Amino acid sequence: MTRTDEELVARSRSGDSDSFNQLIVRWERPIYALAYRVLGREEDARDVCQDTFLRAYRALPGFKGQAKFSSWLYRIALNLCRDWIRRQQRAPVSQMPEDVDPAQLLAETEPAESIEDLVARRELSAIVAQAMRSLSDEQRTAIILKEYHGMTFQEIADMQGCPLSTVKTRLYQGLSQLRRQLERQGQVVPELVKRT
Amino acid sequence: MNETFECGDTGALVAYLYEECEPETRDVIASHLIGCELCSNEIDSLGWTRGRLQAWSPPVAELGFQIPVSLEPQLPWWRAPLPAWAQAVAALVIFGVGLSTGLARGSGSSSPQASPIQPVVATTESASRTDLSELEKRLRSEMAQMRTTVPTPVVRQATSSDDDIMKKVEELVAQSEERQRRDFTLRSVEMARDFEAQRRVDMATVRETVGQFQGVAGTEIRQQREAIDRINNFIRVSQQGR
Repeated sequence: MTRTDEELVARSRSGDSDSFNQLIVRWERPIYALAYRVLGREEDARDVCQDTFLRAYRALPGFKGQAKFSSWLYRIALNLCRDWIRRQQRAPVSQMPEDVDPAQLLAETEPAESIEDLVARRELSAIVAQAMRSLSDEQRTAIILKEYHGMTFQEIADMQGCPLSTVKTRLYQGLSQLRRQLERQGQVVPELVKRT
Repeated sequence: MNETFECGDTGALVAYLYEECEPETRDVIASHLIGCELCSNEIDSLGWTRGRLQAWSPPVAELGFQIPVSLEPQLPWWRAPLPAWAQAVAALVIFGVGLSTGLARGSGSSSPQASPIQPVVATTESASRTDLSELEKRLRSEMAQMRTTVPTPVVRQATSSDDDIMKKVEELVAQSEERQRRDFTLRSVEMARDFEAQRRVDMATVRETVGQFQGVAGTEIRQQREAIDRINNFIRVSQQGR
């Protein structure tokens, strides 16, 4: 039987660490993905991910369920990412892809995709990662939370501690900046069709 | 809500793009887009950018974190257990209060036995010398009996309560030590991770510095080579001139 987050949190709070480990299994991928996209480095993302769950576990008695568990977890992760960037005193650097190993890529994805498509996708991934570097921390975080974690404007506003209108502005300006960066890196916007 | 939509309302466009606006607003914007090439192009290009973003995926990583069973969630300070020294002090206070209460009960226990004597004392005014001597003997025997019988249970009670309290103190101290051991383990893990993070930063800085140094050295070598080439050329030209 699959337990909800709330049930697992309640059991964890009463000292059942197995329940918390189930929450980790459920949320470690999204938290890792968030940390990776914000920090841009695999090792850092893994450390932040681990630290997020450790801190969440220790702070569990103080979590009263005012927000969703996932939102609470995302908030901890984002704060840790912010601390991480501040501590290293440098702009986040996205990890450029290393030499592509087609066999490994093929094994990781569905067989219907050709190697050429895989390589192209990998290249595009690197281009997007590089373009994301040109954004401010706030714009990048807003886009990551919206695009990859499906949060609402309100949730992002709560997470970033800013008005809803600011979130929309960050998203709009961030996407516009990204489009310009992608165009500079050879990505061609298809010819726009006039709606009539 | 917005009855009309004006070009340049980027907030409304973003809400439309992410389908996070009221149905009425959505209809208004949709009808505006039909007639406005600028806004429709903007929406299309933003949508195209969103499409590109889907290609960005994090690398596959082995995660599998686990919280060890020995770790306990950190309680807030008002619910957290007392440190060992405070527990020991509390135990001693409890022990002292218990002991003094026990002693007070032991010394107070003679009063109920003294009460039957009072009527006898009350009648002494009319008693003879023999009565008084008998009373004295009886009192002495009773007092001697009290010395031998009464204090014994008091001492026994104190001893048994001592043992209980000592056991409790030992349990509290053991629990406290266990908690401290867990805290220590947790802090050690955190320190190790912080140390590792700092090491990585330091290594990156060293690498960067070495890279800069190599770059400077490379530039100098290149400049020296160019200077040597120029001198060689000059010598060659001057020799040809002769």
